[in-house]
Amino acid sequence: MEKMQNVDTRIIYIVLLIVLSVPLLRPIGIPMQISPMTRAVYDIIEGLNPEKDVVLLSMDYSPGAGLDAEVCPVAVVEHLMQRGIKWIAISFGTTDGPMMTNRIIADLEQRGYKYGEDFANLGYMAGEENAVRLFALDCLSVPTDVRGNKTSELPVMQGIKTIKDFAFVIQFSMGTPEMWIRQVVDPMGVLFATGTVTVSVPSIVPYYNSGQVKGVMGGVSSAAQYELLCNKPGRGAAMMDAQSMGHLIIIFFIALGNIGYFMSKKGKETPPSK
Amino acid sequence: MPLLITLVISVIVMLSRITTGPVPVIGISLPELFEGYISPWMTVVSAFALCLASVNLIMVHSGNISRKRQDWVYSLILLATLIIYGAFCTYVELNPNNETAAANYSLIYNYILSPLMTGQWACLAFYVASASYRAFRARNLEATVLLISAILVMLGAAPVGSLIWSRFPTIQQWLLDVPNMTGQRALLIGAAIGSFVACLRTMLGIERSHLGIGGSS
Repeated sequence: MEKMQNVDTRIIYIVLLIVLSVPLLRPIGIPMQISPMTRAVYDIIEGLNPEKDVVLLSMDYSPGAGLDAEVCPVAVVEHLMQRGIKWIAISFGTTDGPMMTNRIIADLEQRGYKYGEDFANLGYMAGEENAVRLFALDCLSVPTDVRGNKTSELPVMQGIKTIKDFAFVIQFSMGTPEMWIRQVVDPMGVLFATGTVTVSVPSIVPYYNSGQVKGVMGGVSSAAQYELLCNKPGRGAAMMDAQSMGHLIIIFFIALGNIGYFMSKKGKETPPSK
Repeated sequence: MPLLITLVISVIVMLSRITTGPVPVIGISLPELFEGYISPWMTVVSAFALCLASVNLIMVHSGNISRKRQDWVYSLILLATLIIYGAFCTYVELNPNNETAAANYSLIYNYILSPLMTGQWACLAFYVASASYRAFRARNLEATVLLISAILVMLGAAPVGSLIWSRFPTIQQWLLDVPNMTGQRALLIGAAIGSFVACLRTMLGIERSHLGIGGSS
Protein backbone atom coordinates (compact mmCIF):
# COMPACT_ATOMS: atom_id res chain seq x y z
CA MET A 1 0.00 0.00 0.00
CA GLU A 2 2.89 2.34 0.74
CA LYS A 3 4.14 1.84 -2.82
CA MET A 4 0.80 2.99 -4.23
CA GLN A 5 1.11 6.18 -2.20
CA ASN A 6 4.73 6.82 -3.04
CA VAL A 7 5.22 6.20 -6.74
CA ASP A 8 8.61 7.53 -7.81
CA THR A 9 8.31 10.98 -9.41
CA ARG A 10 10.48 9.80 -12.32
CA ILE A 11 7.94 7.06 -13.14
CA ILE A 12 5.12 9.66 -13.18
CA TYR A 13 7.19 11.89 -15.48
CA ILE A 14 8.04 9.07 -17.90
CA VAL A 15 4.45 7.76 -18.04
CA LEU A 16 3.13 11.29 -18.64
CA LEU A 17 5.74 11.95 -21.33
CA ILE A 18 4.76 8.77 -23.20
CA VAL A 19 1.03 9.38 -22.79
CA LEU A 20 1.37 12.97 -24.09
CA SER A 21 3.72 12.10 -26.96
CA VAL A 22 1.77 9.24 -28.55
CA PRO A 23 -1.42 11.23 -29.40
CA LEU A 24 0.71 14.13 -30.67
CA LEU A 25 2.41 11.76 -33.11
CA ARG A 26 -0.69 9.71 -33.93
CA PRO A 27 -3.84 11.81 -33.24
CA ILE A 28 -6.91 9.86 -32.13
CA GLY A 29 -9.50 12.49 -33.13
CA ILE A 30 -11.69 12.55 -30.00
CA PRO A 31 -14.82 14.66 -30.76
CA MET A 32 -15.15 17.98 -28.93
CA GLN A 33 -18.05 19.98 -27.52
CA ILE A 34 -18.02 23.72 -28.20
CA SER A 35 -18.11 25.84 -25.06
CA PRO A 36 -20.64 28.74 -25.05
CA MET A 37 -17.87 31.15 -24.01
CA THR A 38 -15.80 30.24 -27.09
CA ARG A 39 -18.80 30.27 -29.41
CA ALA A 40 -19.60 33.81 -28.21
CA VAL A 41 -16.26 35.09 -29.58
CA TYR A 42 -16.89 33.31 -32.88
CA ASP A 43 -20.41 34.74 -33.16
CA ILE A 44 -19.18 38.29 -32.54
CA ILE A 45 -16.64 38.04 -35.37
CA GLU A 46 -19.21 36.39 -37.64
CA GLY A 47 -21.46 39.39 -37.03
CA LEU A 48 -18.84 41.99 -38.09
CA ASN A 49 -18.94 43.80 -41.41
CA PRO A 50 -15.73 43.24 -43.46
CA GLU A 51 -16.39 46.41 -45.45
CA LYS A 52 -16.01 48.82 -42.56
CA ASP A 53 -15.21 47.07 -39.28
CA VAL A 54 -11.73 47.01 -37.74
CA VAL A 55 -10.81 44.83 -34.75
CA LEU A 56 -8.26 45.69 -32.06
CA LEU A 57 -6.12 42.88 -30.63
CA SER A 58 -4.35 43.60 -27.35
CA MET A 59 -1.46 41.13 -27.40
CA ASP A 60 -0.44 40.88 -23.76
CA TYR A 61 1.25 37.49 -23.54
CA SER A 62 4.77 36.16 -23.82
CA PRO A 63 6.28 32.80 -24.82
CA GLY A 64 6.49 32.14 -21.07
CA ALA A 65 2.80 31.23 -21.18
CA GLY A 66 3.53 28.60 -23.81
CA LEU A 67 1.23 27.45 -26.56
CA ASP A 68 -1.69 27.72 -24.15
CA ALA A 69 -1.65 31.48 -24.77
CA GLU A 70 -0.45 31.51 -28.37
CA VAL A 71 -2.98 29.23 -30.06
CA CYS A 72 -6.02 31.42 -29.24
CA PRO A 73 -4.87 34.58 -31.12
CA VAL A 74 -3.69 32.42 -34.02
CA ALA A 75 -7.17 30.88 -34.32
CA VAL A 76 -8.95 34.26 -34.03
CA VAL A 77 -6.65 35.96 -36.56
CA GLU A 78 -7.27 33.08 -38.96
CA HIS A 79 -11.00 33.68 -38.62
CA LEU A 80 -10.56 37.44 -39.16
CA MET A 81 -8.54 36.81 -42.32
CA GLN A 82 -11.09 34.26 -43.56
CA ARG A 83 -13.77 36.92 -43.26
CA GLY A 84 -11.58 39.72 -44.66
CA ILE A 85 -11.77 41.80 -41.49
CA LYS A 86 -8.93 44.25 -40.83
CA TRP A 87 -7.16 44.26 -37.47
CA ILE A 88 -4.62 46.21 -35.47
CA ALA A 89 -2.46 44.80 -32.69
CA ILE A 90 -0.95 46.64 -29.74
CA SER A 91 0.61 45.47 -26.46
CA PHE A 92 0.23 46.92 -22.99
CA GLY A 93 0.94 44.05 -20.62
CA THR A 94 4.30 42.76 -21.82
CA THR A 95 7.15 43.87 -24.06
CA ASP A 96 6.98 40.44 -25.74
CA GLY A 97 3.62 41.27 -27.33
CA PRO A 98 4.97 42.88 -30.53
CA MET A 99 7.25 39.89 -31.19
CA MET A 100 4.37 37.47 -30.70
CA THR A 101 2.31 39.53 -33.16
CA ASN A 102 5.19 39.53 -35.65
CA ARG A 103 5.14 35.72 -35.62
CA ILE A 104 1.51 35.72 -36.71
CA ILE A 105 2.13 38.49 -39.25
CA ALA A 106 5.12 36.67 -40.83
CA ASP A 107 2.86 33.74 -41.69
CA LEU A 108 0.14 36.01 -43.10
CA GLU A 109 2.59 37.95 -45.27
CA GLN A 110 3.88 34.68 -46.74
CA ARG A 111 0.28 33.97 -47.74
CA GLY A 112 -0.05 37.28 -49.57
CA TYR A 113 -1.82 39.46 -47.02
CA LYS A 114 -0.59 43.07 -46.94
CA TYR A 115 0.89 44.73 -43.88
CA GLY A 116 -0.62 48.15 -43.31
CA GLU A 117 -3.70 47.39 -45.39
CA ASP A 118 -5.06 44.21 -43.78
CA PHE A 119 -3.38 44.54 -40.39
CA ALA A 120 -0.76 46.49 -38.46
CA ASN A 121 1.35 46.06 -35.36
CA LEU A 122 1.58 49.20 -33.22
CA GLY A 123 4.11 47.69 -30.79
CA TYR A 124 4.37 48.07 -27.04
CA MET A 125 3.02 51.02 -25.07
CA ALA A 126 4.41 51.40 -21.54
CA GLY A 127 2.12 52.23 -18.64
CA GLU A 128 -0.22 49.22 -18.52
CA GLU A 129 -3.64 50.38 -17.24
CA ASN A 130 -2.88 54.04 -17.81
CA ALA A 131 -1.60 53.33 -21.32
CA VAL A 132 -4.83 51.47 -22.10
CA ARG A 133 -6.82 54.55 -21.13
CA LEU A 134 -4.54 56.89 -23.06
CA PHE A 135 -4.75 54.76 -26.21
CA ALA A 136 -8.52 54.38 -25.81
CA LEU A 137 -8.97 58.15 -25.84
CA ASP A 138 -6.49 58.80 -28.64
CA CYS A 139 -5.43 55.86 -30.80
CA LEU A 140 -2.95 58.09 -32.65
CA SER A 141 -1.03 58.65 -29.40
CA VAL A 142 1.22 55.86 -30.72
CA PRO A 143 3.10 57.86 -33.38
CA THR A 144 4.70 54.97 -35.30
CA ASP A 145 4.21 51.22 -35.72
CA VAL A 146 6.92 48.56 -35.21
CA ARG A 147 8.18 49.12 -38.78
CA GLY A 148 8.61 52.86 -38.33
CA ASN A 149 5.53 53.81 -40.40
CA LYS A 150 3.48 56.77 -39.22
CA THR A 151 0.38 55.37 -37.53
CA SER A 152 -1.83 58.11 -38.95
CA GLU A 153 -0.74 57.20 -42.51
CA LEU A 154 -1.44 53.45 -42.29
CA PRO A 155 -4.42 52.55 -44.53
CA VAL A 156 -5.81 50.23 -41.85
CA MET A 157 -5.85 53.09 -39.32
CA GLN A 158 -7.94 55.41 -41.48
CA GLY A 159 -11.07 56.43 -39.61
CA ILE A 160 -9.69 55.24 -36.26
CA LYS A 161 -9.40 57.99 -33.68
CA THR A 162 -10.62 56.52 -30.41
CA ILE A 163 -11.27 53.01 -29.18
CA LYS A 164 -14.96 53.47 -30.02
CA ASP A 165 -14.01 53.35 -33.70
CA PHE A 166 -13.08 49.68 -33.32
CA ALA A 167 -16.01 47.32 -33.86
CA PHE A 168 -14.60 44.78 -31.43
CA VAL A 169 -11.71 44.61 -28.96
CA ILE A 170 -10.16 41.36 -27.81
CA GLN A 171 -7.33 41.00 -25.34
CA PHE A 172 -5.01 37.98 -25.40
CA SER A 173 -3.19 37.72 -22.12
CA MET A 174 -1.82 35.41 -19.46
CA GLY A 175 -4.14 36.75 -16.78
CA THR A 176 -7.40 38.60 -16.33
CA PRO A 177 -8.72 41.66 -18.18
CA GLU A 178 -9.56 43.97 -15.24
CA MET A 179 -7.62 46.92 -16.63
CA TRP A 180 -9.63 46.82 -19.86
CA ILE A 181 -12.90 46.53 -17.96
CA ARG A 182 -12.07 49.44 -15.64
CA GLN A 183 -10.65 51.80 -18.27
CA VAL A 184 -12.50 50.95 -21.48
CA VAL A 185 -15.40 48.51 -21.26
CA ASP A 186 -17.41 50.11 -18.46
CA PRO A 187 -16.74 53.81 -19.12
CA MET A 188 -16.79 53.64 -22.94
CA GLY A 189 -19.13 50.74 -23.67
CA VAL A 190 -16.83 48.84 -26.04
CA LEU A 191 -17.65 45.32 -27.28
CA PHE A 192 -14.96 43.28 -25.54
CA ALA A 193 -13.82 39.65 -25.25
CA THR A 194 -10.72 37.98 -23.92
CA GLY A 195 -8.43 35.05 -24.60
CA THR A 196 -6.22 33.76 -21.84
CA VAL A 197 -4.43 30.71 -20.47
CA THR A 198 -6.64 27.91 -19.13
CA VAL A 199 -5.84 28.52 -15.46
CA SER A 200 -7.13 32.11 -15.64
CA VAL A 201 -10.60 31.21 -16.95
CA PRO A 202 -12.24 30.75 -13.50
CA SER A 203 -11.20 34.32 -12.58
CA ILE A 204 -12.85 35.73 -15.73
CA VAL A 205 -16.18 33.89 -15.34
CA PRO A 206 -17.70 36.65 -13.09
CA TYR A 207 -17.05 39.24 -15.82
CA TYR A 208 -18.49 36.96 -18.51
CA ASN A 209 -21.63 36.25 -16.54
CA SER A 210 -22.09 39.96 -15.78
CA GLY A 211 -21.88 40.72 -19.53
CA GLN A 212 -18.81 42.93 -19.28
CA VAL A 213 -16.76 40.35 -21.18
CA LYS A 214 -18.80 39.06 -24.13
CA GLY A 215 -16.72 35.97 -24.83
CA VAL A 216 -13.84 34.03 -23.29
CA MET A 217 -11.24 31.81 -24.90
CA GLY A 218 -9.29 29.69 -22.46
CA GLY A 219 -6.13 28.06 -23.70
CA VAL A 220 -5.64 25.15 -26.06
CA SER A 221 -9.11 23.64 -25.65
CA SER A 222 -10.85 26.90 -26.67
CA ALA A 223 -8.48 27.36 -29.59
CA ALA A 224 -9.23 23.81 -30.74
CA GLN A 225 -12.96 24.45 -30.50
CA TYR A 226 -12.52 27.72 -32.40
CA GLU A 227 -10.56 25.99 -35.16
CA LEU A 228 -13.40 23.50 -35.52
CA LEU A 229 -15.96 26.32 -35.72
CA CYS A 230 -13.89 27.85 -38.53
CA ASN A 231 -13.59 24.43 -40.23
CA LYS A 232 -9.82 24.74 -40.14
CA PRO A 233 -8.28 22.39 -37.55
CA GLY A 234 -4.81 23.60 -36.56
CA ARG A 235 -2.34 23.29 -33.73
CA GLY A 236 -5.03 23.57 -31.05
CA ALA A 237 -7.03 20.62 -32.36
CA ALA A 238 -3.86 18.57 -32.76
CA MET A 239 -3.04 19.03 -29.08
CA MET A 240 -6.44 18.14 -27.67
CA ASP A 241 -5.97 14.36 -27.75
CA ALA A 242 -2.75 14.77 -25.79
CA GLN A 243 -4.57 16.98 -23.29
CA SER A 244 -7.30 14.35 -22.85
CA MET A 245 -4.76 11.62 -22.26
CA GLY A 246 -2.82 13.85 -19.87
CA HIS A 247 -5.96 14.51 -17.81
CA LEU A 248 -6.79 10.80 -17.72
CA ILE A 249 -3.33 9.81 -16.51
CA ILE A 250 -3.39 12.49 -13.78
CA ILE A 251 -6.80 11.18 -12.63
CA PHE A 252 -5.38 7.65 -12.68
CA PHE A 253 -2.46 8.64 -10.42
CA ILE A 254 -4.79 10.57 -8.06
CA ALA A 255 -7.04 7.49 -7.82
CA LEU A 256 -4.00 5.25 -7.24
CA GLY A 257 -2.75 7.45 -4.42
CA ASN A 258 -6.17 7.53 -2.77
CA ILE A 259 -6.68 3.76 -3.04
CA GLY A 260 -3.28 3.27 -1.40
CA TYR A 261 -4.17 5.83 1.30
CA PHE A 262 -7.51 4.21 2.20
CA MET A 263 -6.15 0.68 2.14
CA SER A 264 -3.24 1.56 4.42
CA LYS A 265 -5.67 3.43 6.73
CA LYS A 266 -7.93 0.39 6.86
CA GLY A 267 -4.92 -1.84 7.56
CA LYS A 268 -3.92 0.33 10.55
CA GLU A 269 -7.50 0.39 11.96
CA THR A 270 -7.93 -3.43 11.73
CA PRO A 271 -6.33 -5.13 14.78
CA PRO A 272 -3.75 -7.72 13.80
CA SER A 273 -5.15 -11.28 13.88
CA LYS A 274 -3.57 -13.67 16.41
CA MET B 1 6.15 67.83 -0.77
CA PRO B 2 5.84 64.31 -2.29
CA LEU B 3 2.84 63.70 -0.02
CA LEU B 4 1.22 66.92 -1.25
CA ILE B 5 1.81 65.93 -4.90
CA THR B 6 0.30 62.50 -4.18
CA LEU B 7 -2.76 64.06 -2.55
CA VAL B 8 -3.35 66.69 -5.27
CA ILE B 9 -2.89 64.28 -8.18
CA SER B 10 -5.06 61.58 -6.63
CA VAL B 11 -7.85 64.08 -5.90
CA ILE B 12 -7.71 65.34 -9.50
CA VAL B 13 -7.82 61.78 -10.87
CA MET B 14 -10.74 60.86 -8.63
CA LEU B 15 -12.71 64.01 -9.45
CA SER B 16 -11.96 63.71 -13.18
CA ARG B 17 -14.37 60.80 -13.36
CA ILE B 18 -17.26 62.61 -11.68
CA THR B 19 -16.97 66.27 -12.71
CA THR B 20 -17.43 68.26 -15.91
CA GLY B 21 -16.89 71.88 -16.88
CA PRO B 22 -13.81 74.09 -16.58
CA VAL B 23 -12.15 74.72 -13.23
CA PRO B 24 -12.12 78.55 -12.68
CA VAL B 25 -8.41 79.05 -11.97
CA ILE B 26 -6.88 76.76 -14.60
CA GLY B 27 -9.54 77.22 -17.29
CA ILE B 28 -9.87 73.56 -18.31
CA SER B 29 -11.97 70.71 -16.91
CA LEU B 30 -10.53 68.06 -14.65
CA PRO B 31 -11.18 65.25 -17.18
CA GLU B 32 -9.20 67.30 -19.75
CA LEU B 33 -6.44 67.91 -17.22
CA PHE B 34 -6.20 64.20 -16.48
CA GLU B 35 -6.44 62.99 -20.07
CA GLY B 36 -4.26 65.71 -21.58
CA TYR B 37 -1.50 65.97 -19.00
CA ILE B 38 -1.49 63.51 -16.10
CA SER B 39 -2.20 60.40 -18.18
CA PRO B 40 0.68 61.01 -20.66
CA TRP B 41 3.03 61.79 -17.73
CA MET B 42 2.15 58.47 -16.16
CA THR B 43 3.05 56.67 -19.39
CA VAL B 44 6.43 58.43 -19.50
CA VAL B 45 7.07 57.57 -15.85
CA SER B 46 6.20 53.92 -16.59
CA ALA B 47 8.70 53.88 -19.46
CA PHE B 48 11.36 55.20 -17.09
CA ALA B 49 10.44 52.46 -14.63
CA LEU B 50 11.54 49.92 -17.26
CA CYS B 51 14.93 51.67 -17.49
CA LEU B 52 15.14 51.70 -13.70
CA ALA B 53 14.55 47.94 -13.62
CA SER B 54 17.44 47.42 -16.05
CA VAL B 55 19.74 49.66 -14.00
CA ASN B 56 18.78 47.78 -10.83
CA LEU B 57 19.46 44.44 -12.53
CA ILE B 58 22.90 45.64 -13.69
CA MET B 59 23.80 46.92 -10.21
CA VAL B 60 22.76 43.71 -8.42
CA HIS B 61 24.51 41.37 -10.83
CA SER B 62 27.63 43.54 -11.20
CA GLY B 63 27.96 43.25 -7.42
CA ASN B 64 27.67 39.46 -7.65
CA ILE B 65 30.43 39.34 -10.28
CA SER B 66 32.84 41.78 -8.61
CA ARG B 67 32.53 39.99 -5.24
CA LYS B 68 32.59 36.56 -6.93
CA ARG B 69 29.56 35.44 -4.97
CA GLN B 70 28.19 31.91 -5.38
CA ASP B 71 27.06 31.20 -8.99
CA TRP B 72 28.48 34.55 -10.14
CA VAL B 73 29.00 33.05 -13.59
CA TYR B 74 25.22 33.09 -14.12
CA SER B 75 25.19 36.80 -13.32
CA LEU B 76 27.88 37.25 -15.96
CA ILE B 77 25.82 35.34 -18.54
CA LEU B 78 22.75 37.40 -17.63
CA LEU B 79 24.56 40.72 -17.99
CA ALA B 80 26.24 39.68 -21.25
CA THR B 81 22.87 38.60 -22.65
CA LEU B 82 21.21 41.80 -21.47
CA ILE B 83 23.84 44.03 -23.07
CA ILE B 84 24.16 42.12 -26.36
CA TYR B 85 20.43 41.63 -26.83
CA GLY B 86 19.66 45.18 -25.71
CA ALA B 87 22.22 46.65 -28.12
CA PHE B 88 20.91 44.46 -30.96
CA CYS B 89 17.33 45.50 -30.23
CA THR B 90 18.30 49.19 -30.12
CA TYR B 91 20.05 48.88 -33.48
CA VAL B 92 16.97 47.19 -35.01
CA GLU B 93 14.68 49.89 -33.60
CA LEU B 94 16.89 52.70 -34.92
CA ASN B 95 17.21 51.07 -38.35
CA PRO B 96 13.73 49.78 -39.20
CA ASN B 97 14.67 49.41 -42.88
CA ASN B 98 17.52 46.97 -42.20
CA GLU B 99 15.55 43.78 -42.80
CA THR B 100 18.52 41.44 -42.28
CA ALA B 101 19.15 42.78 -38.79
CA ALA B 102 15.44 42.53 -37.96
CA ALA B 103 15.34 38.94 -39.27
CA ASN B 104 18.37 37.97 -37.17
CA TYR B 105 16.86 39.62 -34.12
CA SER B 106 13.64 37.62 -34.66
CA LEU B 107 15.76 34.51 -35.12
CA ILE B 108 17.24 34.89 -31.61
CA TYR B 109 13.81 35.54 -30.16
CA ASN B 110 11.95 32.79 -31.99
CA TYR B 111 14.55 30.05 -31.81
CA ILE B 112 16.38 30.65 -28.52
CA LEU B 113 14.33 32.75 -26.10
CA SER B 114 10.89 31.54 -27.07
CA PRO B 115 11.61 27.75 -26.91
CA LEU B 116 13.34 28.23 -23.54
CA MET B 117 10.36 30.06 -22.08
CA THR B 118 7.83 27.69 -23.63
CA GLY B 119 9.83 24.69 -22.38
CA GLN B 120 9.79 26.08 -18.87
CA TRP B 121 6.00 26.41 -19.06
CA ALA B 122 5.66 22.88 -20.46
CA CYS B 123 7.59 21.49 -17.47
CA LEU B 124 4.65 22.61 -15.32
CA ALA B 125 2.59 19.73 -16.73
CA PHE B 126 4.98 17.28 -15.07
CA TYR B 127 5.09 19.16 -11.78
CA VAL B 128 1.29 19.45 -11.75
CA ALA B 129 0.90 15.71 -12.40
CA SER B 130 3.30 14.83 -9.60
CA ALA B 131 1.90 17.43 -7.17
CA SER B 132 -1.72 16.37 -7.87
CA TYR B 133 -0.85 12.75 -7.16
CA ARG B 134 0.74 13.64 -3.81
CA ALA B 135 -1.61 16.41 -2.66
CA PHE B 136 -5.08 15.22 -3.70
CA ARG B 137 -5.84 12.80 -0.85
CA ALA B 138 -9.36 12.52 0.57
CA ARG B 139 -8.14 13.07 4.15
CA ASN B 140 -11.19 15.06 5.30
CA LEU B 141 -14.44 16.53 3.93
CA GLU B 142 -12.86 19.69 2.50
CA ALA B 143 -10.09 17.74 0.75
CA THR B 144 -12.68 15.30 -0.65
CA VAL B 145 -14.82 18.14 -2.07
CA LEU B 146 -11.69 19.66 -3.64
CA LEU B 147 -10.64 16.30 -5.06
CA ILE B 148 -14.05 15.54 -6.60
CA SER B 149 -14.33 19.08 -8.04
CA ALA B 150 -10.86 18.83 -9.57
CA ILE B 151 -11.65 15.51 -11.23
CA LEU B 152 -14.99 16.77 -12.56
CA VAL B 153 -13.37 19.92 -13.98
CA MET B 154 -10.57 17.90 -15.58
CA LEU B 155 -13.05 15.51 -17.19
CA GLY B 156 -15.29 18.38 -18.30
CA ALA B 157 -12.43 20.34 -19.84
CA ALA B 158 -10.97 17.47 -21.87
CA PRO B 159 -12.82 16.04 -24.90
CA VAL B 160 -12.39 12.53 -23.51
CA GLY B 161 -14.66 13.51 -20.59
CA SER B 162 -17.69 14.07 -22.81
CA LEU B 163 -16.89 10.79 -24.55
CA ILE B 164 -17.13 8.98 -21.19
CA TRP B 165 -20.29 10.82 -20.12
CA SER B 166 -21.86 13.67 -22.08
CA ARG B 167 -22.85 15.56 -18.89
CA PHE B 168 -19.25 16.16 -17.69
CA PRO B 169 -18.90 19.50 -19.60
CA THR B 170 -22.27 20.65 -18.18
CA ILE B 171 -21.14 19.83 -14.65
CA GLN B 172 -17.82 21.59 -15.25
CA GLN B 173 -19.63 24.69 -16.52
CA TRP B 174 -21.94 24.65 -13.46
CA LEU B 175 -18.92 24.42 -11.14
CA LEU B 176 -17.39 27.44 -12.94
CA ASP B 177 -20.62 29.43 -13.04
CA VAL B 178 -21.92 28.85 -9.53
CA PRO B 179 -19.46 27.84 -6.76
CA ASN B 180 -16.42 29.28 -8.54
CA MET B 181 -18.11 32.56 -9.43
CA THR B 182 -19.44 33.02 -5.90
CA GLY B 183 -15.95 32.66 -4.47
CA GLN B 184 -14.34 34.81 -7.19
CA ARG B 185 -16.85 37.63 -6.66
CA ALA B 186 -16.27 37.57 -2.90
CA LEU B 187 -12.53 37.77 -3.55
CA LEU B 188 -12.94 40.59 -6.08
CA ILE B 189 -15.10 42.67 -3.78
CA GLY B 190 -12.75 42.06 -0.85
CA ALA B 191 -9.73 43.02 -2.97
CA ALA B 192 -11.50 46.15 -4.26
CA ILE B 193 -12.30 47.32 -0.72
CA GLY B 194 -8.72 46.52 0.33
CA SER B 195 -7.20 48.49 -2.55
CA PHE B 196 -9.56 51.42 -1.84
CA VAL B 197 -8.35 51.50 1.75
CA ALA B 198 -4.72 51.27 0.58
CA CYS B 199 -5.31 54.17 -1.85
CA LEU B 200 -6.94 56.25 0.84
CA ARG B 201 -4.01 55.63 3.20
CA THR B 202 -1.57 56.65 0.46
CA MET B 203 -3.59 59.76 -0.41
CA LEU B 204 -3.72 60.90 3.19
CA GLY B 205 -0.03 60.22 3.75
CA ILE B 206 -0.57 57.47 6.30
CA GLU B 207 1.12 54.93 4.03
CA ARG B 208 4.56 56.20 3.01
CA SER B 209 6.45 53.09 1.96
CA HIS B 210 6.17 54.12 -1.73
CA LEU B 211 8.39 57.10 -0.92
CA GLY B 212 11.07 54.82 0.47
CA ILE B 213 10.82 56.32 3.97
CA GLY B 214 9.64 53.30 5.92
CA GLY B 215 6.17 51.89 6.53
CA SER B 216 3.07 53.62 7.77
CA SER B 217 3.40 56.38 10.34
